[in-house]
Amino acid sequence: MKKYQGWIALAARLILGGVLFAAGLLKYQHLDKSQMAVRAYELLPISLANFMGVVLPFVEIAVGILLILGAAIRISSLVGGILMLMFITGISQAWARGLSIDCGCFGGGGQVAPGTASYLPEILRDAALALLAIYLFRYPQSKFALDRQSADGDGKNG
Amino acid sequence: MGMERMANQKPGKDNFTRNLVIAVVVGVVLLMLVPTLISKKTNTSAKVPSSVSASHGYGIVFNGDVQGVPVVDIYEDFQCPICQQFEKLNGDYIESLVTNKKATVVYHTLSFIGPDSIRAANAGACAADQGKFLNFHKAAYANQPQENTGVWSNDALVVLGAAAGISSNKFDTCVRGGQYQDWVSNVAAAGAKANVNATPTVFVNGKEIDRKTEYFSADKFKAAVERG
Repeated sequence: MKKYQGWIALAARLILGGVLFAAGLLKYQHLDKSQMAVRAYELLPISLANFMGVVLPFVEIAVGILLILGAAIRISSLVGGILMLMFITGISQAWARGLSIDCGCFGGGGQVAPGTASYLPEILRDAALALLAIYLFRYPQSKFALDRQSADGDGKNG
Repeated sequence: MGMERMANQKPGKDNFTRNLVIAVVVGVVLLMLVPTLISKKTNTSAKVPSSVSASHGYGIVFNGDVQGVPVVDIYEDFQCPICQQFEKLNGDYIESLVTNKKATVVYHTLSFIGPDSIRAANAGACAADQGKFLNFHKAAYANQPQENTGVWSNDALVVLGAAAGISSNKFDTCVRGGQYQDWVSNVAAAGAKANVNATPTVFVNGKEIDRKTEYFSADKFKAAVERG
């Protein structure tokens, strides 16, 4: 297992980082829609939701790039993991309360026609990404990373 | 990049490249975030069309001075296909509300779908200055292209205005110069503050009508407006 750990971490970084980067970029192109997506979860006060709608894509892009390059892997995977937990919470509560919204995960978002919302696949995908984040946080030692690699494999960087 | 070499570095060696990369990524993202946040604030010095009222969320207002009638706020995006359906179903009735002074009608031209929406909303404001907003509105929905195809260039919008009966050099310059672009973002900011999460969204006297039943039935929509 230890032999492959660096490669597994590399794959985890590229998947998690790639998804975050793409999601952030798509949201960045339509920030009005991104704000709308956050408001539609009906979790945050409107002004805070509008603020989050703008800030979130930037955070995703930054964390995505850092993970892809392998810099500050521990902090980046921590932030990525927290984002995934937030998304899972938001989508679950929308589902439980019977809201009809587009998750807005990759751009888009807002209310959709009743009955057309799909929540389970989104939750499963975010849960899988959260597992990758946890793995990277625990085992940040990775191939092709900018982070310094320590000999004992106990990454303390980031 | 020499990452392989870096991977073999001994612990304790200089981390300059890594730290530089982190600083650049975080720095550039912050440098882009701050102006973006500021641009989302309402720009009080934005040029606004004559029939617009900041107290009505920067919308284009008809019958603003008529007392004792319901206030109907319509949030829409010229590019949104569902708004086109809504317009087909209720457009004539809403126009009759305006002409017969049966309601204060406020159009909020949102622009979240893309740049074509921004250009179209700007052109709508230019048309309002010519007293032809409703004509332009109708012509836009009758000729709505696929979303974000770039079909609605400023030149095309000038032609659309001509089709709607606007022949004025002022209109042409206004459309081509994007004269009301700042106003368009003010409309978007006001819509965000009003918690509008879909288009079309209709408020009657400040309360949203029932999304499940009242948007796409002409009778129920009429009843919702008259209920006030």
